Amino acid sequence: METQAVDGVKLFIPETYDIFWSAVVLVVVAVFFYKFFLPKFQAIFDERAAKIEGGIAKAEKAQADADAAKKKYEDQLNTARVDAAKIRDDARTEASHIIADARVKAEADAAQITANAQKSIESQQQQALVSLKGEVGALATALAGKILGSKLQDADVQTSMLDSMIEDIDKDSAGKAK
Amino acid sequence: MDLITLAEVTGSLSAVGYGLAAIGPGVGVGIIFGKAIEATARQPELGGRIQTLMWLGFGLVEFLALLGFIAGFIFR
Amino acid sequence: MAGVAELMGTTGVALAAEFHVPQIDEFLPPEIIFAGTPFAMNRIVMVRLIATAVMLLVFGITAARAKLIPGRWQGAVEWLIEFVQNNIVYEVMGELRGKRYVPMITTLFLTIMVFNLCGIIPFANMSANATFVMPLLFAVWTFVQYWRAAIREKGLLAYLKEELLPEGVPIPVYIILAPMQLIDIVLIRPASLAIRLFANMVAGHLIVALCFAATQFFLIESHNMMAGFGVLTLAGGFIMTLFEAFVAALQAFIFATLSCVYINLSYPEEA
Repeated sequence: METQAVDGVKLFIPETYDIFWSAVVLVVVAVFFYKFFLPKFQAIFDERAAKIEGGIAKAEKAQADADAAKKKYEDQLNTARVDAAKIRDDARTEASHIIADARVKAEADAAQITANAQKSIESQQQQALVSLKGEVGALATALAGKILGSKLQDADVQTSMLDSMIEDIDKDSAGKAK
Repeated sequence: MDLITLAEVTGSLSAVGYGLAAIGPGVGVGIIFGKAIEATARQPELGGRIQTLMWLGFGLVEFLALLGFIAGFIFR
Repeated sequence: MAGVAELMGTTGVALAAEFHVPQIDEFLPPEIIFAGTPFAMNRIVMVRLIATAVMLLVFGITAARAKLIPGRWQGAVEWLIEFVQNNIVYEVMGELRGKRYVPMITTLFLTIMVFNLCGIIPFANMSANATFVMPLLFAVWTFVQYWRAAIREKGLLAYLKEELLPEGVPIPVYIILAPMQLIDIVLIRPASLAIRLFANMVAGHLIVALCFAATQFFLIESHNMMAGFGVLTLAGGFIMTLFEAFVAALQAFIFATLSCVYINLSYPEEA
């Protein structure tokens, strides 16, 4: 290969001007990328990420709000339900109270009525007894007067005689009942 | 045509030399990448580490081929 | 090109001298402006400066007009930035320690990719990374960064001890291992970064140029049955151009990833 125009080793031997221009290019490119290009795009990326995150946060907030509203509504529903149940229970107990009271009162009335009836029966009995006693006495006196004549005109004698007679009758009936 | 003319080889022997020199690194690089793929397939969770080692080995082996490339220019 | 006839003559086919075989001296073009001064420029430097200017202009306008809701172009640029950040830096180094290196790796990745792509742009036709100095400077940047990280995070001596005398190795092995490791961290890492990029650009350019030179030769200059080969080489040229575009991105990716790996090695084991 002696005929080759240049020596291949020269490929690897740097020329001064080559080094100079390469260094210039490298520095310029590096400064461009470090100071302008990448910060700019990083800012864009960050802004975009922030925006997306903001959007997500907003959506999350809306979701949370909706959840809260739903929870509130459900709570209200629950309390209402509980209230209704309570009111129902109250009404039920009250109704049973009323029924019980009414029953007690009715029983008391019934007892009262019974007692009154008993009482009036007893007093009528007493009355009947008293009037019977008077009538029977008068009858007996009249009878006895007719029998004894006018011996017994004096009222006092009449009365004492009647009393002793009734006592005897009573004793008799008591003795018979025994 | 005498024997010497018959057996004469002209042209660049360095090209042949580079061809020979490229065989070893060629096989080596093939093995490196093949094994890296195999290893990653077996344990995908180590993929990053395997890839790092793969490139390291590739750099070393490739340098042999590059040496062959330079040697063609230097030893003539 | 000088010497082309002799080179082709050795293949045994009597090719015409017009076959313009691409040579490596295309990568050592003559100085055209300010020749002889330290500020001289050759073709590749011109390409590099123009590529830089265009890149700064395009990215600058994109950044200046960047809006919260991205358009199509801004979306693409943002995708690139996020790709570098997530798939290269954070993938290798993790988010915590990777954060301070995101600007550096982004600069490396985008610049190298744009410079590489100059290789397939018509009228440039030459990657801006196609002199050795540019890749070398990128590599030196990485080199400086990983030494700085090592000194800051571990201290120089601790770092050297860890790299040169790793634990769990039999003592006699250190005799071989220590010098090898030293060469690795001082020379091989930056050199391999630079040479890989440079060699890819050189080889890519040569292959594409060869394909089109052969097409030129077969189709236009030798009007005979060879025209069929011309169609073949033209197709090859197209494929190789596409392949170069792929390689441009791939090499930028490899450079950026390896830079991350090297810097990451300067840090202590996963915290």
